[in-house]
Amino acid sequence: MRTKSGTQRLLRWVGNGLLVVMLVWTLVPFYWMIATSLKKDKEIYGFEATLIPRHPTLDGYRLLFVKTPFVKYVRNSTIIAVATTVASLVLGCLGAYALARLRFPGRKTIARGLVFTYLVPPSLLFIPLFAVMSTLRLIDTYHGLVLAYLGFTVPFSTWLLMGYFRSVPVELEEAALVDGCSRLGTLVRIILPMALPALAVVAFFAFTQAWNEFLYAQVFVSSNEVRTVTAGISLFIVEDVFFWGPMMGAAVLSALPPVILYLIFQRWVVKGLTVGGVKG
Amino acid sequence: MADVRVTRRQVLKVAAATGIATTSPWWLVNKSHAQRAKKLIFWQLPNFTPIADSLQKEQVYEFAKSAGLKDEEVEFSVVGNDVWIQKLSAAIEAGNPPDVMRLFESNVQFFGSQGHLVDMTDTVDRMRKEPQGIFEATLTAVRVNGRFMGVPLAVNPWPMHARLDLLEKAKVDYPKTWDEFIETSKKIQEPPRLFAFGICVGVTYDTTNNVTNLLWCYGGKTVEADNKTVVLNSPENAAGLKVLEAMFKTHKIIPPGSISWDDSGNNKAYQSRQAAFVMNPTSIYAYLDGNDKDLQKVTGLFPVPAGPKGSLTQIDTWSLALFKKSPYPELGKGLIEYMLRPDNYDRIVQSTGGRWVPVYKRLFDSPFWKEKPVFKYFIQMAEQGVPLSYAGSPTPAAGEVLNTHVIPKAVQRVLVDNWPAEKAREEAHKAVAEIYARHNKG
Repeated sequence: MRTKSGTQRLLRWVGNGLLVVMLVWTLVPFYWMIATSLKKDKEIYGFEATLIPRHPTLDGYRLLFVKTPFVKYVRNSTIIAVATTVASLVLGCLGAYALARLRFPGRKTIARGLVFTYLVPPSLLFIPLFAVMSTLRLIDTYHGLVLAYLGFTVPFSTWLLMGYFRSVPVELEEAALVDGCSRLGTLVRIILPMALPALAVVAFFAFTQAWNEFLYAQVFVSSNEVRTVTAGISLFIVEDVFFWGPMMGAAVLSALPPVILYLIFQRWVVKGLTVGGVKG
Repeated sequence: MADVRVTRRQVLKVAAATGIATTSPWWLVNKSHAQRAKKLIFWQLPNFTPIADSLQKEQVYEFAKSAGLKDEEVEFSVVGNDVWIQKLSAAIEAGNPPDVMRLFESNVQFFGSQGHLVDMTDTVDRMRKEPQGIFEATLTAVRVNGRFMGVPLAVNPWPMHARLDLLEKAKVDYPKTWDEFIETSKKIQEPPRLFAFGICVGVTYDTTNNVTNLLWCYGGKTVEADNKTVVLNSPENAAGLKVLEAMFKTHKIIPPGSISWDDSGNNKAYQSRQAAFVMNPTSIYAYLDGNDKDLQKVTGLFPVPAGPKGSLTQIDTWSLALFKKSPYPELGKGLIEYMLRPDNYDRIVQSTGGRWVPVYKRLFDSPFWKEKPVFKYFIQMAEQGVPLSYAGSPTPAAGEVLNTHVIPKAVQRVLVDNWPAEKAREEAHKAVAEIYARHNKG
């Protein structure tokens, strides 16, 4: 009969094995992307797939920076993603606080509506949204794209923060209110400092969503002055030919900002996803 | 239960909000057209050669200047190849499409029959009156209910790309018939590194193009010229399918992996020197021009070999179309005519390095087309080529047959599921007949 410690050891090995499998599953595409970006076309299209580039070259990257407006695409993505993140945080906090703490008619309906709004796929929304943007002359503008992105980042942010705010004991706020703090002051001085992990999650989510979004960026933008990285990458497909080297180079570089952001805020992100408002 | 009292004012407020929210899409759509910034808008699908893109852009601005527009009143937008149709659909729904755009033949048929395009018959008629005229085969693509709803811009032939070095090594010429093709293939291939025939047989668009072209050579076709009588269950189609099956299973000249290829599969196979023959638009040749000159030098572009019923080569025709919602139809029409002026047009065509085959016959007199042996058959293809929908027209029904991959599925039935060709042909026939019946009814 197997001892308890033996079972635990086995489980740990199985768990570790699964983690290794998942790690490989996650990292291999990244590795393949990096390796492909360093290969020449002949090697990419070669009969044998090579794991390590035989004759590494930076031609793909050179083409990106010299012959395409890639830097402009990165600049545009950064502006749009940062603006979306900031707006999502502000609107999400205000909305979530109102829904979590204030009593007004339709509160529950709005709260449920947030989830439903978030569930509507962009592929259904892009045509009516185009009409709205067109009317408001927001096509091919930074703020137009930011507004469109807020359509899916704000519902999620509000919904996530709402749950978090509810877990903060109301007594803390009442004490602040008794001491003369305003509603907004309570939110800023009491709730938000306690909700930093949740804010990190929201910020990370909004940034990543705005950075990676493709359909709206393609449909609502026409010029290089506003085109984002994801839309720019697709221009490396001409008819039925894929220019893999620069495309993978662009993909590698465009994956870096979210990864760096995650590494910086990892501690808060993990905490925000796993704990409530106060320690129990 | 709590006693909830609702005032009349609350009810009115909710009713007003609901009314605005539910009807906003309609009034926004109507308003958006009127709100469009005062600009001449041209949407550009990228070309292989950046110089062709630059020249087109230059011509748009040249025309605008001559028409008294300022640079800021012109918008030249490069639209990505992958979601341009979604973008265009959204723009049309919003009442705000570009003024002018390049379209493919199924798009002209679809948007033309929906009433979104301006009738360009007078422009096309003028082009036909140019010395030597234009290739009449291109007109099928833009003819909708007897009127020309677009202007033919370029012929896109689907020649057989062939490795001349391998033919030379085997001391054989380019095969004239499919029987010769099979024999030649056996001589030149060295599987698994090099298979002879990189034909698409996956569930993808190029499979319909490649296989249909093969079936034509055996007398097969999908529909008759009346666009009503579906003839996919003909013995000729079965004969063609059997030849394909034999190439795959008996002669083994088609790479086994091709059953899972997408549209770029045959490109990759040829570009990586793993296939000696592929049927494809000259995007492959254009790619080689910029990326693999050595392979380009030993690449020949030929009409497809002949079957018992001769040889037909597929051509697509790209067009420039003007949208009815354009606030400046005269400007848009003027722009199209400016770009199609033979001297302007020839500059663009030559800048594409052979990717665009001209619609004006007399442009073939240029040394550009005569000096390169690889272009030898282009004039013949432009003259005699037929669209994928042959013997029918590129109608919306033909578009649905392509988009629903009926023929690729039949091919997979034969090659993967080992169905007899007749049974697969019957299944495909039913599906296509249903599509045509529905379209003809509606």
